[in-house]
Amino acid sequence: MTRYRIVPDALSASLSDGAVLLQLYTKRYFSLNETGSRIWSLLEQQATDEEIIDALVREYDVEKPEAARAVNQLLDDLVAERLIETTSV
Amino acid sequence: MLKLREHARYYVHAAGVIAPGGRAWLLTGESGCGKSTLTYALARGGWPVLGDDGVVLERGSQGVTVHGWREPLRVSIELAAWFPELSQRKSLVDWQDERHRVDVYAAFAKRATIGGVIVLERGERDVLCPLPPTAALAMLVRQSAFLLLTDDHAGSHLALLRDLVECVPCFRLVHTSAQLSSVHATILQASP
Repeated sequence: MTRYRIVPDALSASLSDGAVLLQLYTKRYFSLNETGSRIWSLLEQQATDEEIIDALVREYDVEKPEAARAVNQLLDDLVAERLIETTSV
Repeated sequence: MLKLREHARYYVHAAGVIAPGGRAWLLTGESGCGKSTLTYALARGGWPVLGDDGVVLERGSQGVTVHGWREPLRVSIELAAWFPELSQRKSLVDWQDERHRVDVYAAFAKRATIGGVIVLERGERDVLCPLPPTAALAMLVRQSAFLLLTDDHAGSHLALLRDLVECVPCFRLVHTSAQLSSVHATILQASP
Protein backbone atom coordinates (compact mmCIF):
# COMPACT_ATOMS: atom_id res chain seq x y z
CA MET A 1 0.00 0.00 0.00
CA THR A 2 1.40 3.37 -0.96
CA ARG A 3 0.16 6.82 -0.10
CA TYR A 4 0.93 9.78 -2.32
CA ARG A 5 0.93 13.51 -1.91
CA ILE A 6 0.53 16.19 -4.52
CA VAL A 7 3.72 18.23 -4.86
CA PRO A 8 3.56 21.97 -4.08
CA ASP A 9 4.47 22.86 -7.68
CA ALA A 10 1.40 21.08 -9.05
CA LEU A 11 -1.82 22.96 -9.81
CA SER A 12 -5.06 21.47 -11.02
CA ALA A 13 -8.35 22.60 -12.52
CA SER A 14 -11.23 20.15 -12.41
CA LEU A 15 -13.88 20.35 -15.12
CA SER A 16 -17.08 18.53 -15.95
CA ASP A 17 -15.28 16.17 -18.37
CA GLY A 18 -11.81 15.89 -16.84
CA ALA A 19 -9.04 18.01 -15.43
CA VAL A 20 -5.96 19.95 -16.46
CA LEU A 21 -2.78 19.68 -14.39
CA LEU A 22 0.14 22.10 -14.35
CA GLN A 23 3.66 21.41 -13.12
CA LEU A 24 5.07 24.87 -12.47
CA TYR A 25 8.68 23.71 -12.02
CA THR A 26 8.95 21.63 -15.21
CA LYS A 27 6.59 24.02 -17.07
CA ARG A 28 4.51 21.14 -18.40
CA TYR A 29 0.78 20.67 -18.46
CA PHE A 30 -1.43 17.59 -18.78
CA SER A 31 -5.04 16.68 -19.42
CA LEU A 32 -6.92 13.97 -17.56
CA ASN A 33 -10.14 12.32 -18.68
CA GLU A 34 -13.08 11.90 -16.32
CA THR A 35 -11.65 8.79 -14.66
CA GLY A 36 -8.21 10.36 -14.33
CA SER A 37 -9.83 13.41 -12.80
CA ARG A 38 -11.58 11.19 -10.24
CA ILE A 39 -8.25 9.57 -9.35
CA TRP A 40 -6.71 13.02 -8.94
CA SER A 41 -9.53 14.07 -6.60
CA LEU A 42 -8.85 10.94 -4.50
CA LEU A 43 -5.16 11.88 -4.40
CA GLU A 44 -6.21 15.30 -3.13
CA GLN A 45 -7.93 13.44 -0.29
CA GLN A 46 -4.64 11.60 0.36
CA ALA A 47 -6.07 8.20 -0.55
CA THR A 48 -3.67 5.25 -0.91
CA ASP A 49 -3.31 3.33 -4.15
CA GLU A 50 -5.49 0.54 -2.77
CA GLU A 51 -8.17 2.98 -1.67
CA ILE A 52 -8.18 4.53 -5.13
CA ILE A 53 -8.54 1.13 -6.81
CA ASP A 54 -11.38 0.16 -4.46
CA ALA A 55 -13.14 3.44 -5.16
CA LEU A 56 -12.95 2.92 -8.93
CA VAL A 57 -14.30 -0.64 -8.63
CA ARG A 58 -17.23 0.71 -6.60
CA GLU A 59 -17.94 3.68 -8.87
CA TYR A 60 -17.27 2.32 -12.35
CA ASP A 61 -18.11 -0.86 -14.24
CA VAL A 62 -14.60 -2.29 -13.96
CA GLU A 63 -12.99 -5.40 -12.46
CA LYS A 64 -10.30 -4.96 -9.82
CA PRO A 65 -7.32 -6.21 -11.90
CA GLU A 66 -8.17 -3.82 -14.72
CA ALA A 67 -8.69 -0.95 -12.29
CA ALA A 68 -5.38 -1.74 -10.59
CA ARG A 69 -3.53 -1.71 -13.91
CA ALA A 70 -5.02 1.64 -14.91
CA VAL A 71 -4.49 3.26 -11.51
CA ASN A 72 -0.91 2.05 -11.18
CA GLN A 73 -0.09 3.26 -14.70
CA LEU A 74 -1.50 6.72 -14.01
CA LEU A 75 0.22 6.94 -10.61
CA ASP A 76 3.54 5.98 -12.23
CA ASP A 77 3.02 8.66 -14.89
CA LEU A 78 2.13 11.29 -12.29
CA VAL A 79 5.25 10.43 -10.26
CA ALA A 80 7.42 10.52 -13.41
CA GLU A 81 6.05 13.95 -14.27
CA ARG A 82 6.71 15.14 -10.69
CA LEU A 83 3.07 15.89 -10.00
CA ILE A 84 2.86 13.53 -7.01
CA GLU A 85 5.35 11.80 -4.74
CA THR A 86 5.16 8.85 -2.41
CA THR A 87 4.88 9.36 1.29
CA SER A 88 4.94 6.99 4.24
CA VAL A 89 1.59 5.40 5.06
CA MET B 1 2.59 41.09 -18.33
CA LEU B 2 3.72 40.28 -14.79
CA LYS B 3 2.30 43.53 -13.45
CA LEU B 4 -0.99 42.74 -15.16
CA ARG B 5 -1.01 39.32 -13.49
CA GLU B 6 -0.43 40.90 -10.07
CA HIS B 7 -3.66 42.80 -10.73
CA ALA B 8 -5.57 39.65 -11.72
CA ARG B 9 -5.40 40.45 -15.44
CA TYR B 10 -4.04 37.68 -17.62
CA TYR B 11 -2.58 37.92 -21.11
CA VAL B 12 -3.48 35.18 -23.56
CA HIS B 13 -2.27 34.56 -27.11
CA ALA B 14 -5.64 34.96 -28.82
CA ALA B 15 -7.65 37.32 -30.95
CA GLY B 16 -10.77 39.03 -29.67
CA VAL B 17 -13.71 40.34 -31.69
CA ILE B 18 -17.10 41.69 -30.66
CA ALA B 19 -20.18 40.24 -32.32
CA PRO B 20 -23.41 42.15 -32.94
CA GLY B 21 -25.11 42.10 -29.56
CA GLY B 22 -21.95 43.08 -27.73
CA ARG B 23 -20.46 39.76 -26.64
CA ALA B 24 -16.83 39.03 -27.45
CA TRP B 25 -15.47 35.89 -29.05
CA LEU B 26 -12.00 34.70 -28.27
CA LEU B 27 -10.22 33.12 -31.26
CA THR B 28 -7.21 31.10 -30.22
CA GLY B 29 -4.92 28.43 -31.59
CA GLU B 30 -1.36 27.83 -32.64
CA SER B 31 0.62 30.46 -34.57
CA GLY B 32 -0.50 30.48 -38.19
CA CYS B 33 -3.95 29.08 -37.40
CA GLY B 34 -5.69 32.10 -38.93
CA LYS B 35 -6.37 34.36 -35.96
CA SER B 36 -5.33 37.58 -37.70
CA THR B 37 -6.84 36.61 -41.03
CA LEU B 38 -10.27 35.81 -39.64
CA THR B 39 -10.12 38.79 -37.29
CA TYR B 40 -9.59 41.04 -40.29
CA ALA B 41 -12.41 39.33 -42.16
CA LEU B 42 -14.69 40.02 -39.19
CA ALA B 43 -13.43 43.61 -38.84
CA ARG B 44 -14.26 44.26 -42.50
CA GLY B 45 -17.81 43.22 -41.64
CA GLY B 46 -18.01 45.80 -38.88
CA TRP B 47 -17.08 43.68 -35.87
CA PRO B 48 -14.92 45.74 -33.45
CA VAL B 49 -11.52 44.21 -32.69
CA LEU B 50 -9.95 43.74 -29.26
CA GLY B 51 -6.70 42.29 -30.57
CA ASP B 52 -5.52 39.87 -33.23
CA ASP B 53 -2.58 38.22 -31.48
CA GLY B 54 -3.11 38.87 -27.78
CA VAL B 55 -5.75 40.09 -25.36
CA VAL B 56 -6.08 40.42 -21.59
CA LEU B 57 -8.62 38.52 -19.50
CA GLU B 58 -10.12 39.61 -16.19
CA ARG B 59 -12.91 38.31 -14.01
CA GLY B 60 -15.95 40.56 -14.45
CA SER B 61 -19.37 40.94 -12.87
CA GLN B 62 -21.07 39.06 -15.73
CA GLY B 63 -18.39 36.50 -16.52
CA VAL B 64 -14.93 36.98 -17.94
CA THR B 65 -14.08 40.35 -19.47
CA VAL B 66 -11.62 40.59 -22.33
CA HIS B 67 -9.60 43.81 -22.62
CA GLY B 68 -8.17 44.97 -25.88
CA TRP B 69 -4.44 44.73 -26.53
CA ARG B 70 -4.05 47.40 -29.10
CA GLU B 71 -1.36 46.54 -31.58
CA PRO B 72 -1.69 47.08 -35.31
CA LEU B 73 -3.65 44.35 -37.02
CA ARG B 74 -1.33 42.59 -39.49
CA VAL B 75 -2.40 40.32 -42.32
CA SER B 76 -0.65 38.71 -45.26
CA ILE B 77 -0.64 40.64 -48.54
CA GLU B 78 -1.54 37.31 -50.19
CA LEU B 79 -5.07 37.93 -48.90
CA ALA B 80 -5.46 40.71 -51.51
CA ALA B 81 -7.11 38.09 -53.75
CA TRP B 82 -10.01 38.07 -51.27
CA PHE B 83 -9.65 41.57 -49.81
CA PRO B 84 -8.91 43.89 -52.79
CA GLU B 85 -8.22 46.95 -50.62
CA LEU B 86 -4.97 45.31 -49.49
CA SER B 87 -3.51 45.84 -52.96
CA GLN B 88 -3.25 49.54 -52.15
CA ARG B 89 -0.94 48.73 -49.24
CA LYS B 90 1.54 46.65 -51.21
CA SER B 91 4.28 49.24 -50.76
CA LEU B 92 3.99 48.83 -46.98
CA VAL B 93 4.53 45.07 -46.90
CA ASP B 94 7.26 43.74 -44.63
CA TRP B 95 8.98 41.46 -47.15
CA GLN B 96 11.44 40.26 -44.48
CA ASP B 97 8.45 38.73 -42.73
CA GLU B 98 7.91 35.17 -43.97
CA ARG B 99 4.15 35.76 -44.13
CA HIS B 100 4.58 39.07 -46.02
CA ARG B 101 2.29 40.91 -43.64
CA VAL B 102 1.12 44.47 -43.75
CA ASP B 103 -0.54 46.65 -41.11
CA VAL B 104 -4.23 47.19 -41.78
CA TYR B 105 -6.92 49.38 -40.31
CA ALA B 106 -9.54 48.02 -37.95
CA ALA B 107 -11.95 49.60 -35.49
CA PHE B 108 -10.70 48.71 -32.04
CA ALA B 109 -12.77 48.34 -28.88
CA LYS B 110 -11.62 48.53 -25.28
CA ARG B 111 -13.38 45.62 -23.59
CA ALA B 112 -16.35 43.26 -23.64
CA THR B 113 -17.70 40.24 -21.81
CA ILE B 114 -16.71 36.97 -23.45
CA GLY B 115 -19.55 35.04 -25.07
CA GLY B 116 -17.57 32.14 -26.51
CA VAL B 117 -14.22 30.63 -27.35
CA ILE B 118 -13.17 29.22 -30.72
CA VAL B 119 -10.01 27.21 -31.28
CA LEU B 120 -8.90 27.68 -34.88
CA GLU B 121 -7.19 25.16 -37.09
CA ARG B 122 -6.56 25.28 -40.83
CA GLY B 123 -7.91 22.30 -42.75
CA GLU B 124 -9.23 20.87 -45.97
CA ARG B 125 -12.90 21.53 -45.23
CA ASP B 126 -14.90 23.79 -42.93
CA VAL B 127 -16.08 22.15 -39.73
CA LEU B 128 -17.40 23.81 -36.59
CA CYS B 129 -17.88 21.44 -33.66
CA PRO B 130 -18.28 21.80 -29.89
CA LEU B 131 -15.05 21.51 -27.93
CA PRO B 132 -15.16 19.79 -24.52
CA PRO B 133 -14.12 22.01 -21.59
CA THR B 134 -10.92 20.09 -20.81
CA ALA B 135 -9.70 20.36 -24.42
CA ALA B 136 -10.57 24.07 -24.49
CA LEU B 137 -8.76 24.70 -21.21
CA ALA B 138 -5.71 22.77 -22.39
CA MET B 139 -5.52 25.01 -25.46
CA LEU B 140 -5.88 28.19 -23.40
CA VAL B 141 -3.17 26.94 -21.03
CA ARG B 142 -0.94 26.29 -24.06
CA GLN B 143 -1.55 29.83 -25.29
CA SER B 144 -0.91 31.44 -21.87
CA ALA B 145 2.87 31.62 -21.65
CA PHE B 146 2.81 33.50 -18.34
CA LEU B 147 0.55 30.99 -16.60
CA LEU B 148 3.38 28.62 -15.64
CA LEU B 149 5.35 31.11 -13.56
CA THR B 150 6.11 30.11 -9.99
CA ASP B 151 4.56 33.07 -8.23
CA ASP B 152 1.48 33.43 -6.06
CA HIS B 153 -0.84 34.11 -9.00
CA ALA B 154 -0.71 30.88 -11.00
CA GLY B 155 -3.66 29.37 -9.12
CA SER B 156 -5.98 32.30 -9.70
CA HIS B 157 -4.81 32.54 -13.33
CA LEU B 158 -5.68 28.88 -13.94
CA ALA B 159 -9.00 29.26 -12.08
CA LEU B 160 -10.06 32.12 -14.35
CA LEU B 161 -9.32 30.07 -17.48
CA ARG B 162 -11.24 27.11 -16.01
CA ASP B 163 -14.24 29.28 -15.17
CA LEU B 164 -14.17 30.75 -18.67
CA VAL B 165 -14.40 27.41 -20.47
CA GLU B 166 -17.11 26.23 -18.11
CA CYS B 167 -19.33 29.31 -18.48
CA VAL B 168 -19.21 29.96 -22.24
CA PRO B 169 -19.59 27.69 -25.27
CA CYS B 170 -16.32 26.49 -26.77
CA PHE B 171 -15.83 25.29 -30.33
CA ARG B 172 -13.17 24.04 -32.69
CA LEU B 173 -13.33 25.62 -36.13
CA VAL B 174 -11.40 23.84 -38.86
CA HIS B 175 -11.43 26.31 -41.70
CA THR B 176 -10.56 26.90 -45.32
CA SER B 177 -10.45 30.15 -47.29
CA ALA B 178 -14.25 29.87 -47.59
CA GLN B 179 -14.45 31.30 -44.07
CA LEU B 180 -12.97 34.58 -45.30
CA SER B 181 -16.42 35.47 -46.51
CA SER B 182 -18.56 33.40 -44.16
CA VAL B 183 -16.91 33.50 -40.74
CA HIS B 184 -19.45 36.04 -39.47
CA ALA B 185 -22.29 33.62 -40.14
CA THR B 186 -20.29 30.74 -38.71
CA ILE B 187 -19.79 32.50 -35.39
CA LEU B 188 -23.37 33.76 -35.23
CA GLN B 189 -24.52 30.18 -35.82
CA ALA B 190 -22.43 29.15 -32.81
CA SER B 191 -23.81 31.93 -30.59
CA PRO B 192 -26.09 30.70 -27.81
